[in-house]
Amino acid sequence: MAQRLALQRLLALPTRGPLASHGRAFGTSPGRRNTFNVQDGSDFQDRVVNSPKPVVVDFHAQWCGPCKILGPRLEKLVAKQEGKVLMAKVDIDDHTDLAIEYEVSAVPTVLAMKNGDVVDKFVGIKDEDQLEAFLKKLIGA
Amino acid sequence: SVQAHKEEENPQKTMEVNGFMPVPDSYDYDLIVIGGGSGGLAAAKEAAKYEKKVMVLDFVMPTPQGSSWGLGGTCVNVGCIPKKLMHQAALLGQALQDSRKFGWQFTEEVKHNWMTMTESVQNYIGSLNWGYRVALRDKKVTYENAYGEFVGPHTIKATNKKGVEKLYTAETFIIATGERPRYLGIPGDKEYCISSDDLFSLPYCPGRTLVVGASYVALECAGFLAGLGLDVTVMVRSILLRGFDQDMANRIGEYMKEHGVSFIREFVPIKVERVEEGNPGILKVSAKSTRGDQIIEVEYNTVLLAIGRDPCTRKIGLDKVGVNINERTGKIPVNDEEQTNVPYIYAVGDILQDKLELTPVAIQAGRLLVQRLYAGTTTKCDYVNVPTTVFTPLEYGACGYPEETAVEKFGEENIEVYHSNFWPLEWTVPSRDNNKCYAKIICNTQDNERVIGFHVLGPNAGEVTQGFAAAIKCGLTKEQLDSTVGIHPVCAEV
Repeated sequence: MAQRLALQRLLALPTRGPLASHGRAFGTSPGRRNTFNVQDGSDFQDRVVNSPKPVVVDFHAQWCGPCKILGPRLEKLVAKQEGKVLMAKVDIDDHTDLAIEYEVSAVPTVLAMKNGDVVDKFVGIKDEDQLEAFLKKLIGA
Repeated sequence: SVQAHKEEENPQKTMEVNGFMPVPDSYDYDLIVIGGGSGGLAAAKEAAKYEKKVMVLDFVMPTPQGSSWGLGGTCVNVGCIPKKLMHQAALLGQALQDSRKFGWQFTEEVKHNWMTMTESVQNYIGSLNWGYRVALRDKKVTYENAYGEFVGPHTIKATNKKGVEKLYTAETFIIATGERPRYLGIPGDKEYCISSDDLFSLPYCPGRTLVVGASYVALECAGFLAGLGLDVTVMVRSILLRGFDQDMANRIGEYMKEHGVSFIREFVPIKVERVEEGNPGILKVSAKSTRGDQIIEVEYNTVLLAIGRDPCTRKIGLDKVGVNINERTGKIPVNDEEQTNVPYIYAVGDILQDKLELTPVAIQAGRLLVQRLYAGTTTKCDYVNVPTTVFTPLEYGACGYPEETAVEKFGEENIEVYHSNFWPLEWTVPSRDNNKCYAKIICNTQDNERVIGFHVLGPNAGEVTQGFAAAIKCGLTKEQLDSTVGIHPVCAEV
């Protein structure tokens, strides 16, 4: 999609989500602590691949309608799991290399990662029950 | 001049001496395509089918206003796709008005929100950009978002937006760098005016707009902007739609005038100044008559320049590899196999001299070229009888010769023109114009009354024209046309 460089310079903050620019959450609600926006490849390595806890990775795009529905829905359910699982958000236009590495074709694509491996995945929007089952399986397995 | 002569005799030696690259004996890639637009991507994807190692370089230099976009080229990002979507938005506005007469009742006045439309259009384009990335990856084509330029034989330098440079070599190259809008070269043009490159992602409604130019880009943009309810004026230097059938062009102009677009004819802008800041602000345009000394000054929120497009061929190092370009226009002359004067360098798309500037043509040319290179075919791209459509408020579809060209080529006595006004059934109830839609065919009486020109002005002209283009390619004659039973009630039956 088109970008206007002037506006990009003004809005120099890399993230678009509810979190501040360093991805360190400082809200008090549990959701904020468990969800973060991936900053770059090494951030992904540190906080997703090397994470001691399982992580769901939400690959999304600004131009994707269903992503805007799935994102908050997934975040809410991740928060419900009380810290047993974390959620990483990756904007595929900002982090195309990462998206390509994990073979993302369509968005939203959500990967379940445990100990650096992709153990589960789905593409497209899911309802709350389906998401909850997905998360429980990741935590339990 | 002695020095130049010596270089010509032994360019390789000279280049080595001057620190240039010698010809490599093995290459990084079989094919490098410079430009990821309609032609470039089609060629790259086709080459990958034959298991060739292919790279595509695509890079968008931002406009003076700062606009930029993703992979896919002009058509996808700032051309056909957003244009047609916005044209559709305008048509829907008209349809809403018509709908009352068909019984739909709604009390509110209908208004248009520019931001909603633009966001939807840009979201769709974003999905296309991503789709192209995925397609290239799936076909194992290497893609670099970098500016490519030749630095020596078989060698290009790719510079990404961070300024990092890399060198790549290939056995064959295809140049598909396309064009960008031309500016006027008057004070204030780059600072204050926008072009079609900016329009489709403009983050604010353009408001009262002056469109400079009378190309199809100018008329299509003016058309949909007016259709969305904006106050639009078109400033024309001489004629409308140069190169197209002039009778049809004038009908299009008349229709637009009767439907809210103002025209200022035979004037050119000489200065643009900003009177008030803002998005949009207010700009003052000074224009001079082409016929005398009269100068006028008019104020607009936005000035859209659509006076032509120039090929991106002057800053890609073509001189370093000896590719000839037309110095005046920047276009690249090629033979009928899209080959430049340098045997391993080819070109496709809008940058070609004397060829049509259309996406499907570039795609076809790119694909056939690659098939000739790697699949041993001999089929060349057929540039004759290519159909086209102008998406002005009253759409115009054409295939074959304009009337003037047919007369010039075959002689007036050998041409027969059959024509008719028609009134689309859908326009009757809402009492829309009954004498504006028009169709004509031009036949060559010396060749069995073969149809050599097809022109239609009316709704869905593009859809109508496509079928007739296929018939014309098969050698359609007037008799065959007459004996084809029409579908009723559709416009195409005329």
